[in-house]
Formats: sequence, C-alpha cells, structure tokens
Amino acid sequence: MKEFELEPGEHVVKQVRKHWFLFLTGLLPYAILATLPFLLPKILVFAPPLARFAPFFDYQTPLARLALGLWLILIWTGAWGSFTRYFLNMWVLTNERIATIKQRSFFNREVSSLLLPRVQDVTTNVSGVVPSLLGIGDIKVQSAGADIEFTMRGIPRPEQMRDLILKYVSPDDQKPGNA
Amino acid sequence: MTDQPLQLQPFSLPPALSSLLPGFSAGAVVVWILYAVFAFWTVYTLIAIYHWLKYSHTSWVAFPAIGAHLLVSLALASYALSGHAAFLDVYLP
Repeated sequence: MKEFELEPGEHVVKQVRKHWFLFLTGLLPYAILATLPFLLPKILVFAPPLARFAPFFDYQTPLARLALGLWLILIWTGAWGSFTRYFLNMWVLTNERIATIKQRSFFNREVSSLLLPRVQDVTTNVSGVVPSLLGIGDIKVQSAGADIEFTMRGIPRPEQMRDLILKYVSPDDQKPGNA
Repeated sequence: MTDQPLQLQPFSLPPALSSLLPGFSAGAVVVWILYAVFAFWTVYTLIAIYHWLKYSHTSWVAFPAIGAHLLVSLALASYALSGHAAFLDVYLP
C-alpha cells in the first residue's frame, strides 16, 4: 500500500469498499447507453416522423457496424473507468488507525488517517428499504477533541464494521500482538 | 465483357440518409471520428492503467482488470473495423 506505510506492529484488519449494489447502480447509465442502439430502431417504428432514420440502424452495413463498435468502445471505456474509481476508493482499518482513500476522479486522490485512540464515537446509519434488505449503510466516526469526522458511506454490513472498530478502540486491544 | 475497376465504398450512407445529406463524404468523416475515438481511448486507458499500477499494484484484481479492458476494447475495435468481434460475436448483430 503506497499511500501510507504501516508502523511496526501495525497490521491491516479489514479493507472495505462501497457495496456492490451501489457500484452496479452507478453502472446503470452505461448499461442504458449501451442498449440504446439496439432499442432505438424498435422505438423509431412507433414515431412515424422519425421512422426514416431507422435504416441507419441496419447493422449489416459497414457504417452502422462501425458506429455501433465505436459507441460501445466509448461506453465500455467509461464503465471500466467507473470500476477503476470504485476499486480505488476504500477504507482501511488497521489495529492502530482508520484510513480513508478517496479517489474522487483521476489525479484527484485524498488519503487521511484517524488514530484509533482518538475515536470517541462511532455511529451507524441504515435507512431505506433496499439498504436495509442488502445491509448497506453509513458509519460516522468522530474523534475526541478535534473536529475530525470520518464518514464511510454505502459500505456493506456497517454494524459489523462498527463493532470491529470499537473492538480495536478499546485500550486492551491496542497493545501490539493483541489483535 | 471488360473488367471494371472495383468501386468499394464501405462507409457509404444508407440510401435514405444519402438523400437527406447530399454531398456528405462519409469516408472523410469516419477517418476523423476514428482518430478522435482512438485518441480518447488511448489517453483514458493510459491514465486508468497508471492509477491501477500506482495505487493498486499489490491487488490481484489489477492485472485481470487491465487485461479485460484491453481484450474487450480490442474485440469492439475489431467489430467496428471488420464486423467481427471474436468472442463478442454472439452478442452483437
């Protein structure tokens, strides 16, 4: 992990990313755009003024195939970029700290750490039908003294993560080799 | 019967659209669109691969993800240029 070096005796307890459902939801626009060239010829039939454009979607012609191929390359590249950003965003819990790695966009990366002894309060929030069914929620970690607040949004099973954080926050578990 | 030179116009518009766009040279536009898409794809892919290798080089996902992107892109480019997309042929018209 290049963003931060682990201290002697420090080890990674858990790495979490956003829930896969949120990732798939983010891919939905790409899926719609990818199916558009296949749906349009069928839709155009129902709009007589636009029906004359239907021959353009005859994918037996080289020009239509070229257009479809290029369109799908662009969509695929965008979707792959979305996966890249999803994968590079994560939260890392070690036995000494919590680190958040936010890849907002390419060349826009933020890494921040919060030492576990400074954690004062850990709150989870699961709201909505789908998040409740799939176990998707947020965790808010507040530090003592300073106004530092870490929020992990859309992570799977936030209650388990909260318990894990609290386990390592408790003084007995912070001694090296006690993890 | 004398031999006639082959008149290939692979990127000619469908007759319905040709009548709408008289004097439109599809071939010239296609070449520039190909350049633009290729340039975009190359820059975007290089940037994404840079991020994968720099920030996720220790993950086992990095190389399969890069490989899958290159493979699918190659198949789609092949479809765009020749009409055949290798393993994607079954999904495309």
